[in-house]
Amino acid sequence: MTEKQKHIRNFSIIAHIDHGKSTLADRILEKTKTVASRDMESQILDNMDLERERGITIKARAVKLNYRAANGEDYVYNLIDTPGHVDFGYEVSRSLQACEGALLVVDATQGVEAQTLANAYLAVDNNLEILPVINKIDLASADIEGARREIEDIIGIPAEGCPAVSAKVGLNIEDVLEKIVTDIPAPKGDPDAPLKALIFDSHYDPYLGVVVYIRIIDGTLRAGEKIRLMARGTEFEVVEVGTMEPFGLAKCDSLSAGEVGYITASIKTVGDTRVGDTVTTAEGGAEEPLPGFREVHPMVYSGIYPADGARYGDLRDALEKLQLNDASLVFEPETSVALGFGFRCGFLGLLHMEIIEERLEREFNLDLITTAPSVIYKVKLRSGETVMVDNPSMFPTPDEIDTSYEPIMKATVITPTEFVGGIMDLCQDRRGVFVDMKYLDTERVELHYMLPLNEIIYDFFDALKSRSKGYASLDYELHGYEASKLVKLDFMLNGEVVDALSFIVFEDRAYGRARKIAEKLKENIPRQLFEIPIQAAIGSKIIARETVKAMRKDVLAKCYGGDITRKKKLLEKQKEGKKKMRKLGSVEVTPEAFMAVLRLDDGN
Amino acid sequence: MMAIDNLGLYVHIPYCVRKCNYCDFCSLPNGGSNVPDEYVSALCTEIISYQKEKRRCLDTVYFGGGTPSLLSVSQMQKILGCIRETFDISSLAEITFEANPGTINGDKAYGFKALGFNRVSLGLQSIHENEMKKLGRIHNFEEFLSAFNLLRIAGFDNINVDLMYGIPYQTKESFESTLRTVVDLSPEHISSYGLILEEGTPLFLQKDTLQFPTQDDECDMYDLCREIIGQSGYEHYEISNYAKSGKRSRHNMLYWNLAEYIGVGAAAHSYLDVHRYYNTDIVTEYINSMLDGDFSRAESEVDLPFEYVMLKLRLSDGFLLSEYEALFGKSFLSGREEIVDRLGKEGLLEIENGALRLTERGFYLSNSILVEFL
Repeated sequence: MTEKQKHIRNFSIIAHIDHGKSTLADRILEKTKTVASRDMESQILDNMDLERERGITIKARAVKLNYRAANGEDYVYNLIDTPGHVDFGYEVSRSLQACEGALLVVDATQGVEAQTLANAYLAVDNNLEILPVINKIDLASADIEGARREIEDIIGIPAEGCPAVSAKVGLNIEDVLEKIVTDIPAPKGDPDAPLKALIFDSHYDPYLGVVVYIRIIDGTLRAGEKIRLMARGTEFEVVEVGTMEPFGLAKCDSLSAGEVGYITASIKTVGDTRVGDTVTTAEGGAEEPLPGFREVHPMVYSGIYPADGARYGDLRDALEKLQLNDASLVFEPETSVALGFGFRCGFLGLLHMEIIEERLEREFNLDLITTAPSVIYKVKLRSGETVMVDNPSMFPTPDEIDTSYEPIMKATVITPTEFVGGIMDLCQDRRGVFVDMKYLDTERVELHYMLPLNEIIYDFFDALKSRSKGYASLDYELHGYEASKLVKLDFMLNGEVVDALSFIVFEDRAYGRARKIAEKLKENIPRQLFEIPIQAAIGSKIIARETVKAMRKDVLAKCYGGDITRKKKLLEKQKEGKKKMRKLGSVEVTPEAFMAVLRLDDGN
Repeated sequence: MMAIDNLGLYVHIPYCVRKCNYCDFCSLPNGGSNVPDEYVSALCTEIISYQKEKRRCLDTVYFGGGTPSLLSVSQMQKILGCIRETFDISSLAEITFEANPGTINGDKAYGFKALGFNRVSLGLQSIHENEMKKLGRIHNFEEFLSAFNLLRIAGFDNINVDLMYGIPYQTKESFESTLRTVVDLSPEHISSYGLILEEGTPLFLQKDTLQFPTQDDECDMYDLCREIIGQSGYEHYEISNYAKSGKRSRHNMLYWNLAEYIGVGAAAHSYLDVHRYYNTDIVTEYINSMLDGDFSRAESEVDLPFEYVMLKLRLSDGFLLSEYEALFGKSFLSGREEIVDRLGKEGLLEIENGALRLTERGFYLSNSILVEFL
């Protein structure tokens, strides 16, 4: 181990939701800033405050901090952030692979919870040293000893003498900083070996191109060198090498084994830099890449349309901008009879989908209509051909289909024992096949099920949370495709099929779902000049029907003393409202009503 | 360009004893005092500004408000004098003033009659005290009755009574008794409007705490108007208006037939030479600019083909397709075949003897139907 390596600590912070992960990160930043500020120029400090105000450090996925320890020596801390959801499980595991240790934050008032456990396991899988930190000790209901005991009994790691802090009020943060020096191992790796650097994240910068975040495992990387990304064998010339300081990117000459930093190499899209890929030198590079790389593919598809058809171009620009920083987002143009021009988008999972939708609406000010999420089905046709279907409107008719297949997930649920019954009912209800059950201790159970992804995307996560008071956690990965009785359910308004409402469903579920959605349509479609029949059908067979009665009267405004414009304005306003309506066949529906119908809630 | 060359004059009196809770029209509560003389002077100045070499011939004059019956007989006389100086009134057929029952006394009834008024529009709204209170009306049914009788005795043989449905706490039964009581009085004309909650009015602010009739109840109330008024010798000639034979409101008919009219007073609208103008609705600003001799007015856009349809379809007669084509040089139906056909099949409109009109059922949905044509 080199002298330099001895003074580096690479770590993440992991926690159950709301146990105080971000607050602790903020405190660590603050404390190390204070220490470092002695050596910093005032301008840099100003810079840093400005960046902090804008919340950039919060967005940064890794940051390099300087810390002078009690032993009088200076250390470099690389704090690497991790996303916290099952959709990004792979990204989390790659971020952890870049570390030697993890701070496991446990809320002293709550103790160990499902995600504490799931995250701890993930850290153990990546051979990380886990440093427990008991947080929120300022609260009256804090039970430090109880939390310590739970960490030892349930997770099985020693917690004697672990820091007990209050990140909120800034109490005992120094204990944590010192423990990082003593308990988390310094990185190993040979600076003179062939280069192996792990990509754990990247982002697009309009001036620099793609900024690739890396952890050097072996070797040394210098500016100007030619590199190869091993998964695809693509080669680039490194323009800039540097580190992520709290105030922004800082250039340096080289990075060597154990260090965390960034490179830029005139890379145009983040899609060229896969998380988990290995960077090596083009000449005399490593033979073998680092283990664990996987190409990620979208699992969930949905149609995204602008509520105002005129904003199609804006939506395309927004998706392109988001894709610059999110290689896992895919999209292609799609046309719906009901919704007009939009995009078929692929996501890693439901949360990923929700995040993208929210960003489109918030950051790009778009009103969206999204169709029900769908998985990718495999259909063997009578003709012998096999097709992959990610859009219900493309699903073949019953007489064309020989066999249809759906993706089955290997799902893991960790839950307190008291909720096992309800969760097993839920899994069974969702066509789950029980695999096994393991007691983690007297209070916690790990359940394994084979579950169709089709069922998981239908509000499974919320149902799981509501049946376990929020304690159960879920993880899943693709197991494979299995044959299944699938049908396409269509909805007709006034006798015309509304393509955007069609979805694929397990045959036995079709009746219940059809009735429910027909009722929702009835509730949400405003009464119009005409009566509107609603029908649900599989092929040509009608399986549910409802009727929206015709409207009886609208407001009969008076013409005040010759003020014609007033009445005209009223009608124009009504017309404006009508323009926002979506024509579903000959029926007009507000985007809100459409979304209400598509919003999947707990149920059958 | 229109077939009708009649001219109407509208005079706006933006003062009231108190403002009704549903009113968002231009009116100032003045606590019962009279209309300020300076407003009358401003009105006169504006009227006189229309003096041209060729005096135009007035068909109707209508004093609306606000509360025109707040004007004193001498103020009224002054205004009418200016009208006489400015316009040719030799064929003036109808001269109306709106009145609040609480402001009518013997002097005014006889006085206005003597000045030449031949029609009165009385705002009753409801015979029930609780409903009137909710609307913030200043009078009760007894006061209305005495005003009505007084006007009759003074010789008014053309009286309109304004009614309203959709009032908080109104029921079908209470509305029915209002209708029957009014029909028994046998006024020549009845207007029955649905209450509209206008943003910013006291009633709008209270809307969540008040209980309004449901959509269906309102619909039934509209049905009651048609039944009770329609079967008592009145013609349902416009969406919300009923008249005995020959007693349609000539002034309102001018609006609905797209004839020209001049509006004087704050917030008044005019339609002249295919242009629409309107005065400021800030009363002090109006007075000042008139007294300064500044007669400039704001203009609003005109979309004649649509306005024609919008106004004409309020009438049970509808409009002649041939007239539309002659006026605008294009067929109304072309490009609208599908929707007209569909509305026809639904029984909402009909085409008969070359006239397109809304059916009684179509009247209920006139806004939605008009939006289809917009």
